Amino acid sequence: MSANLYEARNLVQRYNGREALNVPHLAIEQGEAVFLTGPNGCGKSTLLRLLAFLERPAAGVLRYAGGADGRKEATLLLQDPYLLHMSVFNNVVLGLKFRNQTANLRQTFECSMQAAGFDEPWKFADRGPYELSGGERQRVALASRLALRPKVLLLDEPTANVDAASARALAQAVKNCTADGITVVCSTHDPALLRAIDIREIKLGSSWDAEPAPLLCPSYPRR
Amino acid sequence: MDYLINGFSNAFYLLTHMDAATLSAIYATIASTCYAMAAALLLGVPLGFLLGHCSFPGKRAFRLVSDTLLAFPTVLIGLLVYAFITARGPLGEYGLLFTLPGMAIGQAVLALPIVISWTAQALEDLDPRCRETLLTLGANGRQLALYALWECRYAVGMVCVTAFGRVITEVGVAMMLGGNIRYSTRTMTTAIALETSKGDFAQGIALGLVLLLMAFMVNLALAFFKRRGRA
Amino acid sequence: MFRFSRFLLLACAAGYMVCAAPVLAADTLMMATTTSTQDSGLLEYLEPAFKQETGIELKWVAVGTGKALEIAKNCDADVLLVHAPSAELEFVKAGHGVDRRQVMYNDFVIVGPAADPAGVKGQTTAGALKRILDTGAGFVSRGDQSGTHKAEQKLWQQSNITPDKNPKYFSAGQGMISTLNMAAEKQAYALTDRGTWITFADKMGDKNPLAIVVEGDKALFNQYSVITVNPAQCPKVNPALAKKFEDWWVAPATQQKIAGYALKGKQLFFPNADK
Repeated sequence: MSANLYEARNLVQRYNGREALNVPHLAIEQGEAVFLTGPNGCGKSTLLRLLAFLERPAAGVLRYAGGADGRKEATLLLQDPYLLHMSVFNNVVLGLKFRNQTANLRQTFECSMQAAGFDEPWKFADRGPYELSGGERQRVALASRLALRPKVLLLDEPTANVDAASARALAQAVKNCTADGITVVCSTHDPALLRAIDIREIKLGSSWDAEPAPLLCPSYPRR
Repeated sequence: MDYLINGFSNAFYLLTHMDAATLSAIYATIASTCYAMAAALLLGVPLGFLLGHCSFPGKRAFRLVSDTLLAFPTVLIGLLVYAFITARGPLGEYGLLFTLPGMAIGQAVLALPIVISWTAQALEDLDPRCRETLLTLGANGRQLALYALWECRYAVGMVCVTAFGRVITEVGVAMMLGGNIRYSTRTMTTAIALETSKGDFAQGIALGLVLLLMAFMVNLALAFFKRRGRA
Repeated sequence: MFRFSRFLLLACAAGYMVCAAPVLAADTLMMATTTSTQDSGLLEYLEPAFKQETGIELKWVAVGTGKALEIAKNCDADVLLVHAPSAELEFVKAGHGVDRRQVMYNDFVIVGPAADPAGVKGQTTAGALKRILDTGAGFVSRGDQSGTHKAEQKLWQQSNITPDKNPKYFSAGQGMISTLNMAAEKQAYALTDRGTWITFADKMGDKNPLAIVVEGDKALFNQYSVITVNPAQCPKVNPALAKKFEDWWVAPATQQKIAGYALKGKQLFFPNADK
């Protein structure tokens, strides 16, 4: 048995009958950090959603070596993140409330926000979602994931629609996660992000690449 | 034309002197409406939530029925409820006909389709990312349901206010089921109907103005919810 | 988050207490009566005395006689005060009501355009009705199975006329005031009880387009009676309270009060309990 946290064979996902993802083989080790790259529509988001256990594959096997409920251990940062209609503080500690881990909410809030690149977390604590810029929203969403101390952090194009400062903060946060032993899978187009962090790259959609197991991808748009 | 002018001056008189009959009518209106709304919300919001949030076989059929009931003629509602609560009817032993609770039952039936269908719609209109976010943060079924509903709270608030406005202005059902008994089930709307049938248009207009005032306040609340919903 | 649901709960509780709290008064009696007794103001005038002298809280629904009898048949009322003698007798005969006692009468009048285009002033009822239709002057009927409507139908019957197919016979399906308004608009004739007429005339003042054309005919006599809903059929009826109710209405003191009731200075109802 390898130390693979995720192992997928012949993973297929379909939406409305159309194939959105087709992966013959994929393996991610525990504590590893990988980039998912590839052209638009080749299934990066789909794969992330499967890894986050938000969906079940149409066919194939996805083995997860972690605990029983993968969804509680793997968390996904959506490409266009959603913050609930509540204060930043409540958004960040929401996941902890779900797990009944309400012991040190204030402390956890502060740490997570700082990890997400906020130097003065308490300035933002009472703001509502509409009082934040796009980049700030992205980072608050990241903070809410970090607060969970997840085993796996999945990120869908985290720097896609944010300003440069937020992008840098996000890149740093991801680096710190990898240092903490969190398994990170991050899909991206952003060359700056790719340069900032030196980790394995899984390319979807290439007909040839240097990886041992090339992944194929049909060029259908998702959904 | 005179009765319009007389109506306005009567309205002013009524409101400033707090005439006993008017007060009793206002009280009856508010009491039965609140009772009806409470019942409609307690039943309707959970049902609407299930219809909007969950998937189950026959869901679309249920939703179709609920949406169609939105067009249910109010007089038919009155007749059906009447048949149930009359002394000879299945619920006769409770003596509900010609009482405020009986009237409230009819009003609740009136409000129920609005609450169910629009709550379902509010949940369906909820951003799908909300659901995904809650799930990925580790929410279980119950937490997902509660927080999704909380997230729609302004839309649901609007539903309540809309249903409230509908109920408070209803005449037919109130007349049929309440009997327009003075100091008991005479509401603003049935009082207006009575005054006009007696030919006292001025009084009818006066009461109508008071009712308009109440409807205005309801709409003020609606505007508040709309604004907060956008924030 | 749950502050709102707590508020909702409080609102429900308040609403429930407010609506379903038992009335503090002692006994209640539900009466089904007609719009004329309510609209004339007689009931509001008598009710305080009733409450004081019998200790019973009287609640009433004022609907058309037809509906009042239906309500009584369905056991939704305890007693009746209506004015449709033939329908009442049938009602009692069928076993729905007991102890019918006459209490007072008023009368109907035929009203029409002040200029009286059909020339029926001073005629008998039968003659007048025939002339109204013959001259095509127009007649507006209540058309709602009320006591007035039933009386009107009887009058047509007595004159051997079926007015329904006549294009100038308008079945309004509404209350008395609305019917009179319609007659005024259409410059037509109508049958009305005197009480509503007095109210209508008072409201119209000098601008009243209608006037009384036929009155005093015995056929226009309008008898009011009280009936107790049969306790054998409707167990909820309290016979003791109902008897108190009926006794009160025929008592001399009450009868005097009835005679003393004046609408706009004119006596409206004539007590005849002992006759």
